[in-house]
Amino acid sequence: MIGFRTGRSPLHAAHPYTPLAIATALLCLVFAAQTPAAIGIFVLAGIVLAIAGSSLGYVAKPALMLAIPTLVLLFILHGLLGPEPRHALGPLHVSDSGLTEAIVLGGRITAILFAFLTVLATVSPDRLVEAMTERRVSFGATYLLVSTLTLVPRMRRRAAQILEAQQCRGLRLGGSPLARIMALGPLVLPLVLGALAEVDEQVLALDTRGVTSGRVRTAMDPPPDSAAQWAIRWICVCLVVGAWAERVRPLLMLIHPHLYVACR
Amino acid sequence: MPVSALVGMEALSFRYAGSTTYALSDVTLSVERGEVVLVAGRPGSGTSTLLLVAGAYAPRLVGGAIEGGLSISASRPSIVFATPWTQLTGLCRTVFAEVAFGPASHALPRERIRALVGLQLERLGVAHLSTRDPATLSGGELQRVIVAAALALEPDLLLLDDPAAELDPAAADALYGLLKETAAEGVGVLVATPDVERGARVASRAIVLEAGRVIHDGEPAGALA
Repeated sequence: MIGFRTGRSPLHAAHPYTPLAIATALLCLVFAAQTPAAIGIFVLAGIVLAIAGSSLGYVAKPALMLAIPTLVLLFILHGLLGPEPRHALGPLHVSDSGLTEAIVLGGRITAILFAFLTVLATVSPDRLVEAMTERRVSFGATYLLVSTLTLVPRMRRRAAQILEAQQCRGLRLGGSPLARIMALGPLVLPLVLGALAEVDEQVLALDTRGVTSGRVRTAMDPPPDSAAQWAIRWICVCLVVGAWAERVRPLLMLIHPHLYVACR
Repeated sequence: MPVSALVGMEALSFRYAGSTTYALSDVTLSVERGEVVLVAGRPGSGTSTLLLVAGAYAPRLVGGAIEGGLSISASRPSIVFATPWTQLTGLCRTVFAEVAFGPASHALPRERIRALVGLQLERLGVAHLSTRDPATLSGGELQRVIVAAALALEPDLLLLDDPAAELDPAAADALYGLLKETAAEGVGVLVATPDVERGARVASRAIVLEAGRVIHDGEPAGALA
């Protein structure tokens, strides 16, 4: 799993809100899209985003490691066990609508993975904190977002430390699949308990640094923003609103028929 | 207890949540501006708990219950734990940002924060580390950074739990000298340490705890016995 890597790509240099806005827009748009062709465009957009962040090689491996098993599972569930009519695909009889469903769902997951893993790789947590502090976002919300973005690398680091410690005490990681599964026991419990203890420590650490002072924090080094980046973020918002407007309209009719007529 | 005391405890007892035994029992003491008070005692005697209570971190953050009198007039207490790696915010990629985090939380102006951070990093001898990632520092470097972060908050009460645990003898001497300087600026300093000899050299008073009870409150030499 991945975390932030320093770099000189446009996404690294951008205001942290910009890659976040693009990835969030991609998430919303890919769920508004219904056809495999449209989904394919968004998968491509996710890959382009990773290229823009000079992170394709870094992001592709974990993205595909998560996406491929999901796609296989979706193919079995929807493609092979889906409804009639079916057509022959080699020795398999594949459901037409089920295959489409599998491609749509799998494509959505793939596009989201590429987009958000690129965000993890290119958005520096400390720059994000500064950006949110400058915009006067509450520290609680800032901490929640940033700690979520850094959760995986932190857990991975802790897991590596625990494994090293357990190996020093004689834990063997190799061998049969069963032996490997058994080796998870000495890892998982200390990992979970350690994570819980870390929360307590973090509460104390942050409290001693005055985050509960109730004052609006000073942004020490806010990342530069630009009109072009504002425009990109607003385009993202407009695209999402535009894509979802058509799907929200029937709901609007149910809630407020007059407003629905006005919208038409 | 004196009216000018930053912290005053009057027959105070404290126990942690779920515990039937008291971590502190019948403790009466005060800490005033300008004094370095050494807190000594065996492991488990309640020295760390005493600091947490004095800074109002216990029971507010760690749970538990207080009985007896406690008055805290210190408006800006600051604490340094014995395990500096647990005191990192986890949100800063440079030592400078780590030390600036506290003053920024108190909404000080940017220029003032820069000056404060620069000053404290210099005083602790870690200015050359200002662009380093805190996660890559050695234990001793990190401990000095955390003390700098505590001082950058401009505390009126400084609480330190074994602040020289990770330091070599020369750095430990320098740190204790700095604590004396800090007290001379009008800060009340309460330092818990097993290194009683070094602590007694700079302390104006010593408190010795045994099983949560004060068995000595007076001359630092008394703690050496």
